[in-house]
Amino acid sequence: MLEGVEKVYPDGTQAVADLHLSIGDGEFIVLVGPSGCGKTTALRMVAGLEEISGGQVRIGDRVVNGVPPKDRDIAMVFQNYALYPHLSVRENMGFGLKLRKVPAAEIDKRVEEAGRILGLEDLLDRKPRNLSGGQRQRVAMGRAIVREPQAFLMDEPLSNLDAKLRVQMRAEIARIQRDLDVTTLYVTHDQTEAMTMGDRVAVMRKGLLQQVDAPQVLYDRPDNVFVAGFIGSPAMNMVQASIETSNGATFVCLGDQRLRIADELLAARPALAAYEGRKVVLGIRPEEMEDAACAGENPDDRRLRATVDLVEQMGSEAYVHFSLKAPPVLTDDTRELASDVGLDDQLERRGEKATTAMVARVSPRTRAAKGDSIDLVVDTGRLHFFDIDSSLAVWGDPDRAATTTTTKT
Amino acid sequence: MSGGGTVAPRRPPGGGRVSRRWLVALAFLGPALVLLGAIVIYPIVFTVFRSFYDRAGDAFVGMDNYQQMFASQRTRTAIKNNMIWVAVAPAIATGVGLIVAVLAERVRWQTAFKVAVFMPMAISGLATGVIFRLVYETEPERGLANAVVTTVAGTFRSSGEYAGARPSQEDALQPAGMGYLTADTFSPGDTAPLGLLAIRPSEVPDSAEEAVLPQAGAGELAGAVWLDFSRGGGGERGVPDPTEVGLPGMRVEALQAERVVAATEARADGTFVFTGLEPGDYRLRLAEANFRPPWGGVNWLSPTLVTPAVIAAWLWIWVGFAMIVIGAGLAAIPRDVLEAARVDGASEWQVFRRVTAPLLIPVLLVVLVTLVINVLKIFDLVLVIPPGSVQDNANVIALEMWRVSFGGARNQGLGSALSVFLFLLVLPAMAFNIKRFRSERR
Repeated sequence: MLEGVEKVYPDGTQAVADLHLSIGDGEFIVLVGPSGCGKTTALRMVAGLEEISGGQVRIGDRVVNGVPPKDRDIAMVFQNYALYPHLSVRENMGFGLKLRKVPAAEIDKRVEEAGRILGLEDLLDRKPRNLSGGQRQRVAMGRAIVREPQAFLMDEPLSNLDAKLRVQMRAEIARIQRDLDVTTLYVTHDQTEAMTMGDRVAVMRKGLLQQVDAPQVLYDRPDNVFVAGFIGSPAMNMVQASIETSNGATFVCLGDQRLRIADELLAARPALAAYEGRKVVLGIRPEEMEDAACAGENPDDRRLRATVDLVEQMGSEAYVHFSLKAPPVLTDDTRELASDVGLDDQLERRGEKATTAMVARVSPRTRAAKGDSIDLVVDTGRLHFFDIDSSLAVWGDPDRAATTTTTKT
Repeated sequence: MSGGGTVAPRRPPGGGRVSRRWLVALAFLGPALVLLGAIVIYPIVFTVFRSFYDRAGDAFVGMDNYQQMFASQRTRTAIKNNMIWVAVAPAIATGVGLIVAVLAERVRWQTAFKVAVFMPMAISGLATGVIFRLVYETEPERGLANAVVTTVAGTFRSSGEYAGARPSQEDALQPAGMGYLTADTFSPGDTAPLGLLAIRPSEVPDSAEEAVLPQAGAGELAGAVWLDFSRGGGGERGVPDPTEVGLPGMRVEALQAERVVAATEARADGTFVFTGLEPGDYRLRLAEANFRPPWGGVNWLSPTLVTPAVIAAWLWIWVGFAMIVIGAGLAAIPRDVLEAARVDGASEWQVFRRVTAPLLIPVLLVVLVTLVINVLKIFDLVLVIPPGSVQDNANVIALEMWRVSFGGARNQGLGSALSVFLFLLVLPAMAFNIKRFRSERR
């Protein structure tokens, strides 16, 4: 339970600002955001490793602001595992219990049990330096498990593992957490981990909480451009567009092309009507586009024509990178999202040429090739619209808009 | 040399290339071998050789030098002192270095602090010796150590300003411990003249004024303490004469039935007044504190204290070294391991004892052994700090070797025997360190 927590470093840098986050019993919350967004700082404040500059952190009913980490009854898994190099696996896991003067027999029992859960039975008497990365990661988990704490705090525990092991441990941690039913706060910069593991996901940016919701809600109804672009892979395409109506139908215009907005979407986003004739940010997820040649019959007003830059065949699907003749969105959010994947300079170059780089996830049977012109069918019932100035999603649900404005400053 | 082996498969049968490879190897190794041989190997071998010859180096004397060495009282003191050095100094330096290093991590001006502690390493041992020779001067006005010690002691047990004073009328004031007690009793309304002698005018505070005998008011017991000595002679004993001065600050106590019931201090003119005393008979006492002689401090360079004193000087130099090396070791401990321990429930002390200290042990051992080697060879400080009269008491092997070889006796045979002995003592420590460095490289 975090109430208006903030962290200001002595040099005046504000790492975390006014963070409100309430975590239910046994809930798995993932804090996600690009590097430097303050998520680790927030976690360390909960752990007591970082001083709290403002607000309150409560664990259970207890305000723990001034409580040293040892008295907070939490266990933490570190990014680099932070195993005690001079102790064996068994001693590493039993360390916390030994400090609490738990009887040796009980320590043994719990360590063996944790070793069994994690498949470490044969390694208990080894030293950490004789373990592989994945094994060390398990020991770090074991060290947290045997403590039976009120909460687990995990600071990017999988980022030092190779891709395959990461997928495996991801499932394992989620399973263990569910089995033990311990409240968990998990920090990661990997949105896949966030989506797959969390009961709820909290997206942070520059010390500010952007949105906290279940993964699917985050994906379907992102509150702002940043969340929309951060969640989902490949990322949502953002392009400047404007809203027009003609003949009783509402269209969104991208450059010289236009898409007819599905009626049910208009119904779901009543506020969109107010944007007629104005510029908006249009978001299209790559998976909501399809090569027209591979799709069934589709009316013309749901198609986009563009030039293919690159086709990536993944086997089960194909990513078509294309340029659309429409100005890209150049806001702080999109800049930060681009720089998170190292493409910030490309975004600026595109801005000068008024073309937008986009990705579509299409059927692997697409015949599109580099340099071709392609027709893409867009699922116009699942378009996203954002205010170009405030970056907030255009919904028309006043309550929702109000809550999101408070998290923005 | 093993590099030569890598070309082995290409070597044709026959030895022509072998000798060439040896020549190349020799060309590369030659300069180093020559240097090592000339300045390391040869002196060692020669010293061992020399230790079996007499003082002039003419006659072979077998083990005589070694026998003489262990028979000599001076050498035995030196060996004993060296043992004290080895047992005490490196351990303290390592311990203090550890504490300082751990604490320095928490200091705001960490670097400045470390530089300050490390600074003595930059001073030559001889200069340090001279500095500490001065520090250990007995006179508190000259020696820093005694100045500190006497000042600290002075705050707990102040010395009196009037040490050595005695009454001018021995039958009126009788010694009571270090103070003086009146023979007669006084009652409120009385005036008590308390004259003292044997105080040098320079010892009387500048604030002193001409002494007067006050008139006691009703219910008051008054009196005067003064220096009952007229300059240029004359004057009457027991009465303040015009040229006589009061003794300000003198503590006067009123006693009834051996118990202090009131106390006051003499004013600038030596007068004192007790007010509010119950009617009755009182004796007056000049408190002991007035006459306590100042404490002269410790004679640091006395035969018993000289070795600890020199060790302290050595520590002043080497704690900085220990701190820097241990500090580097501390910095190498990953931060998150310590944080993990804190989250795991360890208090700061437990973090130190169960995580930091075990992880530092290799570093501590290297520091300790390095300092042991250093201490075995200790020479300069012991040469400079102890005055000649106690040099025998402070003697160490390296100093004894130097004194025997180049001092009055010029017995270089015996000197060589001593250096061989010292060399043998250092060897195991060296071997330990080399082994450590090897295992660390692995």
